[in-house]
Amino acid sequence: MQMQQQQEHAFEFTGSGWEYFKIWIVNLLLSILTLGIYSAWAKVRRLQYFYRNTRLADASFDYHGMPKAILKGRIIAFVMLMVYSGAMKLSPALGITIALMIAVVMPWLIVRSLRFKLYNSSYRGLRFSFAGSDGGAYTVFLLFPILTALTLYLLMPFTHQRIKQYQHCNSQFGDTFFNFDAPVKSFYGVYLKVLGMGLGLGFLAGLFSAVGLTFLLLLLPVVFLFVMAYMAVSLPNLIWNSTTLGEHTIQSKLEVGPYLWISFTNLLGIVLTLGLYIPFATVRMLRYKLEHMSLMAQGDLNEFVAGQEQAISATGEETAEMFDVDISL
Amino acid sequence: MVNARFFDGKTAAAQAVELFLDGSNLLLRNTDLELRWPLHEVNISERLGNTPRLLTFAGGGHCEVTDHAALGDLLAQLGTRHSWLDGMHHSLAWALLAAGLIVLSLLAAYRYLLPWGAEVIAMRLPASVLQKMGSSTLDTLDKFMLQPSKLDAARQREITAAFARLQAPSAAQLRYHIVFRSSPEMGANAFALPDGTIVMLDELVALTQDDNEIVAVLAHERGHVEQRHAMRMVLQSSAVGLVLAWYVGDVSGLLATAPAIIMQAKYSRDMEREADEYAERTMRANGLSPCLLASILDKLEASHLAKTDAKQPAPDAASKREVMDYLSSHPATQEREKLLCPAK
Repeated sequence: MQMQQQQEHAFEFTGSGWEYFKIWIVNLLLSILTLGIYSAWAKVRRLQYFYRNTRLADASFDYHGMPKAILKGRIIAFVMLMVYSGAMKLSPALGITIALMIAVVMPWLIVRSLRFKLYNSSYRGLRFSFAGSDGGAYTVFLLFPILTALTLYLLMPFTHQRIKQYQHCNSQFGDTFFNFDAPVKSFYGVYLKVLGMGLGLGFLAGLFSAVGLTFLLLLLPVVFLFVMAYMAVSLPNLIWNSTTLGEHTIQSKLEVGPYLWISFTNLLGIVLTLGLYIPFATVRMLRYKLEHMSLMAQGDLNEFVAGQEQAISATGEETAEMFDVDISL
Repeated sequence: MVNARFFDGKTAAAQAVELFLDGSNLLLRNTDLELRWPLHEVNISERLGNTPRLLTFAGGGHCEVTDHAALGDLLAQLGTRHSWLDGMHHSLAWALLAAGLIVLSLLAAYRYLLPWGAEVIAMRLPASVLQKMGSSTLDTLDKFMLQPSKLDAARQREITAAFARLQAPSAAQLRYHIVFRSSPEMGANAFALPDGTIVMLDELVALTQDDNEIVAVLAHERGHVEQRHAMRMVLQSSAVGLVLAWYVGDVSGLLATAPAIIMQAKYSRDMEREADEYAERTMRANGLSPCLLASILDKLEASHLAKTDAKQPAPDAASKREVMDYLSSHPATQEREKLLCPAK
């Protein structure tokens, strides 16, 4: 057997802001005119645009979700949201009861959502899939978050690590499993650095507050954005750099400076154009993230083989999306 | 001929192939492969920006095509045309038209759909919901803004009795009662809660010379309740807040609430007008002149302006007044007085 050569394949994003703008605005119009029904079709187009523009080793990804399955999920999510907000208005006690019920079904929904999302994603004609169990989901999405709250968030990095481990170790491309080996202490490392930075910069701000309150009010948002950007960059880096697919490894090299610049100018653009800049902002951010990721292939990418396919309802995914439990991937 | 990359759906291996049209079949070929599908078993994905187009074959396998021009020629031979949706997604004219139509439909929804929806729901809410909202609002106000009334019990009874004698122009839907409070910060004012409770402030009572002026204010407030104005406001602003929060997304919760309140002001003007009309009908039905409401409105405005002027240096007050009038929830008082009391 010969030593296999390691080869770096960078992710590429070939989409453009203008092109996406045209798709986005027509999607928005049709969604409004159909009172939201078209949004399921819009979502498929949007994801297909993003997936097909994502290229790796000279082939693109694809999305196969069925609009009708997504619409079904959206209707269920909408009804749940209405019931919740209606109950909250009538009596907080009833609202909290409904919220608790939603919390209890949420892990179940997340599993369906992950299955739907991965099953409907493909690369080179092979589907991804998710094999996580409901029991595992209840542990990481319900039990650990409760423990986290009870320990005043001391367990948050631990819970985050377990969630990613559950998610990535149960994901497959074809019949090849992903693996995730970031130790818990590396998550504590990032969280502690964020906490330290927040405290340190807060202390500095306190010193500067002697200069004047206006100065402090200008400084605080900058400090806040910087810490947020640090977190938004370090966690994906840690997570992806600890993820492997078979014998291939993944690399993510996001940096705080460019990330901060892109998010700040995006925010500015969106506010100044009353939202018309949104598609351009989305494309810019996606391009930055993807083009700083690569797959370190150990040998031939052609050797992946298809796994078993299974039909999955979209309900799980859509309900989870509307309640925004979609954890950053 | 179209260059493509073929994936068989079983492995991740890519093979460079050439696609040809062969009668009613699609032929796929390279040096060691030759496959053929009837065209109706080939699903050709629509254009989507400049993304590769996919030809998916029944029974597994697909081709990725990045040479759009060549594939376009091949499809033209077949007489395939772009769908109208496809055309919309790729034209700048449609993008601009869509932007215009979005703004128009949002304005239309805001101006017509929202008030209509809020009214339909508000009119159908059970009394228990109104009751709950009314009592919790009064509790909050009592805690933060209102103080107990300093009017003596006899005077309170007098006003309550005058209100009780007032006949409604149509059968009342709710039970009304007056509560007396005082609030130096709010000044002369009275307001209605969704359940029919009318809060009367000492400062307003002090401003009146004729008890029928108080009756006129009560009739106006009753108009607000009969038409569920408070409830409609709550429903409308929560709907607007929900949409804005969704649209603004994670930018900031603060950004979402401020415009909601400012935009709602326009509706309040319509509602004030409706309440004025109700009061006018009530006054006439009881043999009282609607001019009484006009005169108390005049006094209220004078008292509030005096209060603002006292806080502001004189030149600033005038400009503040203009701004306040534009944003204010009450339509220009003069305009209202003219409607109520044209003779004056």
